Amino acid sequence: MIPTWLTTAILFAPLAAAVLTLLVPRANLAHGLAATIMAGCTALAAWLAILVVPHGVTYQGPHIPWLDLGGFTLGLGTFADPMGAIMAVIVALLATVVLIYNSWYMNGDKLAVRFPWQFCIFVFAMLIVVLSDNLFMTFLGWELVGLGSYLLIGFWFAKPAASEDADYQRLKGVGARGVLEHRLSPAHAQLKAFVMNRVGDAGFLIGLGAFLAAGVAGGFREPLGWSNLTQLSLGGLPGTFLGLSGNELLTIACLGVFCGAIGKSAQFPLHTWLPDAMQGPTTASSIIHAATMVAAGVFLIARLAPVMTPEALSVIGWTGGITCLLAASIACVQWDLKAVLAYSTVSQLGLMFVALGAGDGAGGTTAGLSHLFTHALFKCLLFLCAGAVIHACANSQDLHRLGGLRKRMPITAVCSGLAVLAIIGAPFFSGFFSKDAVLAAALLHAEDVGGAAWGPFLLACAGSLLTAGYMVRWWIRIFAGTERDHTLTHHAHDPAWYASAVLLLLAPFTCVFLWSTWLSDALAAPHTEAHAHAHHNAMLIASGLLVVGAGFAAVVFAWKSELATTLARALKPLHVGASELWGIDRLYDLVFVRGLGAGVGRLTAFLDLGSRDRLASLEGAAPYRRSDSLSLDGLIDSIGRLCGRIGESGAAWHDGRVGAYLAIAAILGALVLLMGVLW
Amino acid sequence: MVIGPLTWSVLAPLAFGALCLAKDRSARWFALLGSLVPLAVGLAALGDFARHPGSDFRLLETFPWSVALGASWTVGVDGISAAMLALSGLVVAIATISGWNQQRSPRAYHALTMLLLAAMNGVFVTLDLLVFYVCWEVMLVPMLLLIGLWGGDQRRYAAMKFFVYTLAGSVLMLAMLIAMWNALPDGQRTFDLRVLTTQWKLWESTAFLGIPLAAFGFLAVLLAALVKVPAVPLHTWLPHAHVQAPTAISVILAGILLKLGVYALYRLAWPLFPAQALHWGWLIGLIGVIGILWGAWVALGQRDLKRLVAYSSVSHMGFCLLGLASLSVAGATGGMVQAVTHGLSSSLLFLLVGVIYDRAHHRNVDGFGGLAAPMPRFAWILLIACLAGAGLPGLAGFPGEVMALFGSFTAGGYFPWFAVIATLSVILSAAYLLWMLKRVAYGPLLHPEHATFPDLDARELAMTVPLVALIVLIGVWPGPLVDALRPSCEALLTHVRGAMP
Repeated sequence: MIPTWLTTAILFAPLAAAVLTLLVPRANLAHGLAATIMAGCTALAAWLAILVVPHGVTYQGPHIPWLDLGGFTLGLGTFADPMGAIMAVIVALLATVVLIYNSWYMNGDKLAVRFPWQFCIFVFAMLIVVLSDNLFMTFLGWELVGLGSYLLIGFWFAKPAASEDADYQRLKGVGARGVLEHRLSPAHAQLKAFVMNRVGDAGFLIGLGAFLAAGVAGGFREPLGWSNLTQLSLGGLPGTFLGLSGNELLTIACLGVFCGAIGKSAQFPLHTWLPDAMQGPTTASSIIHAATMVAAGVFLIARLAPVMTPEALSVIGWTGGITCLLAASIACVQWDLKAVLAYSTVSQLGLMFVALGAGDGAGGTTAGLSHLFTHALFKCLLFLCAGAVIHACANSQDLHRLGGLRKRMPITAVCSGLAVLAIIGAPFFSGFFSKDAVLAAALLHAEDVGGAAWGPFLLACAGSLLTAGYMVRWWIRIFAGTERDHTLTHHAHDPAWYASAVLLLLAPFTCVFLWSTWLSDALAAPHTEAHAHAHHNAMLIASGLLVVGAGFAAVVFAWKSELATTLARALKPLHVGASELWGIDRLYDLVFVRGLGAGVGRLTAFLDLGSRDRLASLEGAAPYRRSDSLSLDGLIDSIGRLCGRIGESGAAWHDGRVGAYLAIAAILGALVLLMGVLW
Repeated sequence: MVIGPLTWSVLAPLAFGALCLAKDRSARWFALLGSLVPLAVGLAALGDFARHPGSDFRLLETFPWSVALGASWTVGVDGISAAMLALSGLVVAIATISGWNQQRSPRAYHALTMLLLAAMNGVFVTLDLLVFYVCWEVMLVPMLLLIGLWGGDQRRYAAMKFFVYTLAGSVLMLAMLIAMWNALPDGQRTFDLRVLTTQWKLWESTAFLGIPLAAFGFLAVLLAALVKVPAVPLHTWLPHAHVQAPTAISVILAGILLKLGVYALYRLAWPLFPAQALHWGWLIGLIGVIGILWGAWVALGQRDLKRLVAYSSVSHMGFCLLGLASLSVAGATGGMVQAVTHGLSSSLLFLLVGVIYDRAHHRNVDGFGGLAAPMPRFAWILLIACLAGAGLPGLAGFPGEVMALFGSFTAGGYFPWFAVIATLSVILSAAYLLWMLKRVAYGPLLHPEHATFPDLDARELAMTVPLVALIVLIGVWPGPLVDALRPSCEALLTHVRGAMP
């Protein structure tokens, strides 16, 4: 039924696109070629989805051994089930449209020709994560997705940080203040993203190790495949690892893998890389840091849902809830329009993890995945609209200076408006359906388990309230009202026809009926009395939060703008705290970058080879001092010096004074005679 | 008496080395040819092991040397030695291209390089313990001269330190040799390693200076190997040697010389003294883990580019120790794979540092910035080298590292804990390598005089592109290499486990 070559073709299409576009020197041609190949990939993915989704088929594609390690084998293969097939379609579709959009967005940029192949490498890696048939292969894709993100964040590698950028300083305008000034350079941002993701990956590897050790103990030849993992985890993991076994070991293994998800999906505490990743092109941000890569964490945890223990799920739920509220609070006070979207992404991902934390039984997995899919589409649309605004307003991203753009950019205004209505969960929009599912699952789980399980639900509600507020504020400050800075916005217009077509293509996906009619059944959502009851309550709560949040924002930002300033003054500690990102970035900089990183690095270098004075004294540029021995290398050298000194003192006895020789000979001779006599 | 390919892999460098002494201009060509012979032999043998996996020794030859001593020129390769032979030929060929424009006494320079290659190949192909020891010591002399005469400002200090430190480490091996020879019954005295490994119970029962000969022997080989690997805390000769040596010699040092220490553990310590390997394996694993983290952290604090790459070598070689000590097939094979792939990625990094030094005449990482603009090809290759060093999947640094880690995770005793700690190094290796890359290649161009730097020319591409190609090839398709190495490692571990009480 499903051709054997289909999944392999979908997987390798973006790699082929990357290799082929490397050979194309002209930017437009490169974009066109890549978009064409990705369109073909989308068609193939849609075909796979049609074959897999309606009947809930799980399909194991071709599989090859990659590393035969004696006791176990690590292989590579493809796997498709409804959630994977839908994700593949979304990834391929967004890749295609973003490539088309980018040929307009980067028109005239000298580096534009690099974008298609770097982008396609990313898409290839993302499809490895989506279509992989075992946890090890997912890890390979995981790291490669990090590479794609690294390349794209640092796309404009020669750009300096805002504080050192003469052009930016000249054009920033009088009102620029706050976080805009502290923006990193793309080179710095890409390093930060990669290293932070590596922190998560270290946890992922430990989780992998735990599963592998258990798999070997349980006698599995290839223990990391999905069905094998599920079988392995029934009733806890076999064997002992780090002194743990059974369910405890399974929880640790799950949390290890979740560490990777925390890093990749920018959850607290590894969330600070995502806002800095906005240094990359907006088109890259639209797919990587909104729709797909950061969603990989959610996707993986959903994939491993049968394996998760209740303890692991509760950690996941809490992490999601805390992140949701934390990021939403920061988004409320951002003045950079891309930063608002970045923190909004972090917050929405938190919401997805709240759903996953509710567990399969409460419908959490289905809810999380539904929100993942709807969010991918409306977030991509939001970012592309943001890109259009930035492009139209002389590269300005400052919310202080924008405004009234709905008259000059009607298509962008309408599309972004639809996307905003989706993200705040307005009725008849996609977000209404998926957010309702998330809150319902969290509510049901909280009612079932009680106690601490109410935390994630309440945090999610608070986050949703703030989301409605700041997203409406975002739209109003850009498109509503009057133009605040005419010099910036007088040339604004909608993107070129093909780029606007992309926006209009994505807009219908914000409509609820495109999703609600089939998604729940495709993802096997549970349908019981309790679920329906929870859905009903969640819908009421969500609507209430929406009205309060969006209403408040509309009143304050569109009508009585003095209220905003009054409120900021009244809640000053909260306002300042959120503006300073709750101090987390600074803490990490102090403890990890300056402390554990450069600080410990310099300390160990000093302990190893000594100070710069010591190194200078080695080449005679400075005199040698006793204290120079206080390093490892110095200790070794002092052994050499000791031998030298023994030799010298011995040599002192051989200085040619015959009298001394005779004296020594006489004494030694007498001693020998004495010993001979005594024994 | 037909001289077979393995003997040629030692004789050819010697012969070409002699030819190098003829004329200045032709010396480098003879050196290049001399290194291609062991490369060809090694690749052919490795390919054979990949297609027909097995733990046996192939291409055997025996030439009698001293009947009285029981020593002979017996040579043969298994998967491990074949890989090392190919690597040594490749690294020296690349290093010769790197040193192509050596102006100071090129005849002597290239001849000494050939002598060094011959001695290293002697260690890899020989199955005779006495010849092993002789070649092990002989290779120190050309290295001493190469660093001491052609190096930087502190070359005498660095060369002497390298020479005396390594020699001091291996001095006990001579006593071990003699004691083992004595312990054998009269008439059965031989230095053939294949015979000696079957006699491991004899080394256990013979006493030497009050302890079992096996314990003394294990300690002797361990000291020699750990200095060479280099293992923390016996590693401080390496930064000096690397910084002072010319680029090509650094490449040989990092690319192949460090692997000799790991090879000695695989060929001597573990097979000859399996009971000690079982008993003390945890300590070697611990030393490996300490080296992984210490090397990475010190690299983070370095400003000299060459010293940074030198400490990254210390860090990566720790995985070889961890893998072998874990006594798992995945770990032991991974340790050897890591040795091979580290030879490629580390050589590439040193070559690139040499490229910058040739242009800017300094190696201070703070003195660069934004070089990706004037030198885009250089920046791309440096990116690949850094990502390979950081263990990105799809590049050569990943298989060895992940196999060593997984082998440790699935091993017994303390090894899962060691693996958990070693896993933290993935954060550090990404940090120090990519931070270096950022300071050198990305950001705005900090020094306007760097804008005129030429990008990689034909010679520099010729020495870097083959390494890049191999790094990508082995990264994407490590199967053949792993299949060639695994049977020998499995046989080694079966032998070691046979000594369990």
